[in-house]
Amino acid sequence: MSPDHKPILVIGGGIAGMTAAVEAAEVGYPVVLVEKEPSLGGRVVRSHRYFPKMCPPTCGFEINTRRIRGNPNIEVHTMATVEEVSGDVGAFRARIKKNPRYVTGDVSIDDSVVEQLTSDRPNEFNMGLDTTKGLYYPHTAAYPPLHVVDKEALSDGDVAVLTEACPPGALDMDMAEEEFTIDVGAVIVATGWKGYDPGNLPNLGFDRCPDVITNLIMERLAAPNGPTGGKILRPSNGEAPTNVAFVQCAGSRDENHLPYCSAVCCMASLKQARYIREAYPDAKVTVFYIDVRTLGRLEKFYYELVEDENITFVKGKVAEINEDPETHELILEVEDTVAGERPDSRFDMVVLATGIVPNTADSPIPLELDYDDYGFLNGATGVEGVFAAGCATHPCDVSRTTKESTAAALKAIQCLNRG
Amino acid sequence: METSEITVPEGENGQDEATPLDIPSPSTNGRPVRVDPDLEFIRALRRSGGDSLKKCMQCGNCSAACPLSPHVNPFPRKEMAWALWGMKDRLLTDPDIWLCHHCNDCSTNCPRQTRPGDVLGAVRQQCILHYAFPGILAKWVSHPKYLPILLAIPAILLGLAARYREAIGEFLGFSVPMGDRIVYSFAPMFPHWLLNSFFGLFTVLALAAAIIGVWRFSRGLKRSSVWGENPEPVKGVLASLGSVLLKVVNHDRFTTCDTDHSRSISHFFVFFGFIALTVVTIMVITGPFNPLIRGDFVYPFSLWSPWKLLANIGGLAVLAGILLMIWERLYFGHLAGTSSYFDWLLVWSIFLVVASGFATEILHMLRMVPHRHVAYFVHLVFVFGLLVYLPYSKFAHMLYRTTAMVMAERYGREAGKGAES
Ligand SMILES: Cc1cc2nc3c(=O)[nH]c(=O)nc-3n(C[C@H](O)[C@H](O)[C@H](O)COP(=O)(O)OP(=O)(O)OC[C@H]3O[C@@H](n4cnc5c(N)ncnc54)[C@H](O)[C@@H]3O)c2cc1C
Ligand code: HEM
Ligand code: SF4
Ligand code: SF4
Ligand code: SF4
Repeated sequence: MSPDHKPILVIGGGIAGMTAAVEAAEVGYPVVLVEKEPSLGGRVVRSHRYFPKMCPPTCGFEINTRRIRGNPNIEVHTMATVEEVSGDVGAFRARIKKNPRYVTGDVSIDDSVVEQLTSDRPNEFNMGLDTTKGLYYPHTAAYPPLHVVDKEALSDGDVAVLTEACPPGALDMDMAEEEFTIDVGAVIVATGWKGYDPGNLPNLGFDRCPDVITNLIMERLAAPNGPTGGKILRPSNGEAPTNVAFVQCAGSRDENHLPYCSAVCCMASLKQARYIREAYPDAKVTVFYIDVRTLGRLEKFYYELVEDENITFVKGKVAEINEDPETHELILEVEDTVAGERPDSRFDMVVLATGIVPNTADSPIPLELDYDDYGFLNGATGVEGVFAAGCATHPCDVSRTTKESTAAALKAIQCLNRG
Repeated sequence: METSEITVPEGENGQDEATPLDIPSPSTNGRPVRVDPDLEFIRALRRSGGDSLKKCMQCGNCSAACPLSPHVNPFPRKEMAWALWGMKDRLLTDPDIWLCHHCNDCSTNCPRQTRPGDVLGAVRQQCILHYAFPGILAKWVSHPKYLPILLAIPAILLGLAARYREAIGEFLGFSVPMGDRIVYSFAPMFPHWLLNSFFGLFTVLALAAAIIGVWRFSRGLKRSSVWGENPEPVKGVLASLGSVLLKVVNHDRFTTCDTDHSRSISHFFVFFGFIALTVVTIMVITGPFNPLIRGDFVYPFSLWSPWKLLANIGGLAVLAGILLMIWERLYFGHLAGTSSYFDWLLVWSIFLVVASGFATEILHMLRMVPHRHVAYFVHLVFVFGLLVYLPYSKFAHMLYRTTAMVMAERYGREAGKGAES
């Protein structure tokens, strides 16, 4: 281990980026971790619990943040993006842009200050389902554990409150956008994914029917730090659902949308079926699927649910969802292909199992990399010294992501040690 | 590869005959079914519009998207399974392929970009070919290389009829004009009685052939698995026929679809235009004796005679509708569906019949001789083609559809109906 190694640049601070960073740093290599959001964790911290063990993501997340916090080899930049990368393996130069947080971190800010603010802004951590104030704490488990100011969102009154109520030195409202250049030896792209836009699926009624939600929304509704404090409620009237449908492959495995299988949404729906069954012992759940794709040991998770009398699995892809104008029930058009029938299918809440789209599909990394038709990167990206891991490479779960991230860290280390 | 007849064992016997190759039924009641794929049948489907067939993953989206599909044994997913497995017998006895109005709502939403609507179109073609009598004519109609024969037959027959009209007339006892009310100002080559006898003969032959085909088809329909076990009729045959005709006239089933709505308009025009022309044709045939025609029976009718007006309006309606159909097929293939030779043959035949009809009329008004006679001859050849080859061409859809729809009506197989929750 030599201190004159150039650092590894990790782009994206989700579970993939965090894992790659700690794996490399813990064996002595310097890492610069760049995350565009105000805190680390990506999609996984947004879920209520995660399969297969059904533990809250925060426990694993806390272990990782502790490893990062305690490791001098890791330099974390949040609210930051990589604007340009030049050079070659072993000698890349990256230009990084950092947006102002306006919070110095030197002095802590009391929550009472936030309460005095008046203006609201959509809370992206909760998929816009609720709002935060112009000064906010990203979420309960946020790392770095710092507030953020959304300067645009502040009203004049809010600015006055902040100057008065915040301890001196806590805020720096003149903080400017920062740009700096670093020399790095290797790059790991771990920019992850976003959900497929349900607005592209007009047949499934996400924009027409309030009680049609996505699986990502379901995670936030179920999470104790979510918009409903962990209560799964029908958005239309705030009541508990009694009869919930999961619509699998909403956009995935569909040549008109995403031709590939998003790999995790079957397991995600099974997991969410459990959320409902645990929260509402009388509630019924029906899962409409093309195939239940629970590979390897995950199959057990599925068989356990098959035993549950209140959960029905129907093999058939849902073609259309409409709301009954009188009862507001959701009517699903679907064929039960095993029975050869179109059952009368009415529910009070429907979860669309939307799929995974790589973030690189519409905001590629500033490097000439080999993307596939859908914007995913191959593990080897076509540029020597640049690697990819996690959902940036293909749809996958956390366990697969962490393995790939460890592999990417090893490959990056090999680059640093070559000549 | 050898082709083989499909045997779909029924009832108890079917179960007894189960072999180790038996797999669960693709749609109904989980009873084992012997699958004996007819590869040549699959190939024929793929050649005539069903080429996307193999991509189907049996997700059922199509059956759920179909606005016309009943809720018990819905279509077209099960037909896709049968087609994939070459289960010819199931498909050819299936009423559902004829309940489908080829709107392609299913095709535009298929996640595999398979085109079940077009596959059903290809199955319908096979169905007509299968039941048609005599089979040789069906073969000629379905393949472009036999087109010259198809055209030669009416051309030669009409030519002979014109050439030997006197002999024929003598033989039939029509050598004198049929009464003083008749004035033929038009086609001395083809006197009224000659055309009547000529077309009368061949229409009767075509009708007989059509009846044989439809009769065989309706026997097949009864064997279909879609009715379920021991189906009970919910309506009488005549009542079913009545409500089906009403639906057909209203174009009810056409107008339920989202994807290709203009199809209802074009069909509406062609359909009613055709009926108008048929009515006028009946008037012409019965002209000399028809009390509705006052005074001398002058053929062609004068321009302002109500019958001529009806004919012209009907002709224009057919022309407008058929041009719309052609235009759709040419420029909106993804909506109208793939176009096989079989599809084109019908639309172009209809177009040629009306186009040559109007050409004759115009040339006649211009008193252009011999052009008007040539045009008339060509027109008659096309009319012969359309009518006499009806039982073998896509035109037979009116018979097959009506038959299947009546049966479906009789057994309560209605769109959106059936399964209880
Ligand atoms: C509904 C649902 C439920 C799921 N539940 C589970 C589960 O229970 N168990 C499980 O194992 N898996 C689950 N998954 C899968 C899991 O979410 C993914 O495996 C995991 O998120 C992959 O992590 P990642 O780091 O690759 O991507 P992400 O979590 O998306 O992280 C990527 C990070 O990169 C950042 N970023 C993006 N672009 C840039 C850029 N240009 N510059 C800087 N930063 C950038 C993002 O802000 C984000 O923080 C679920 C998936 C879905 C759809
Ligand atoms: C009697 C009941 C009838 C029914 C139920 C019916 C129904 C249909 C349907 C559903 C189609 C579309 C099928 C397809 O293209 O695959 C069609 C096509 C067609 N029909 Fe009919 N029809 C009937 C009678 C008639 C009649 C009397 C005519 C008169 C000419 C006619 C002319 C046509 C033509 C030309 C097409 C082809 C359309 C195209 O290729 O785009 N039909 N009919
Ligand atoms: S994981 Fe399941 S729901 Fe998701 S795309 Fe694949 S099959 Fe469909
Ligand atoms: S034709 Fe398409 S929609 Fe229908 S079952 Fe096959 S793949 Fe699914
Ligand atoms: S083409 Fe239209 S009517 Fe025919 S099966 Fe498809 S959706 Fe149903």
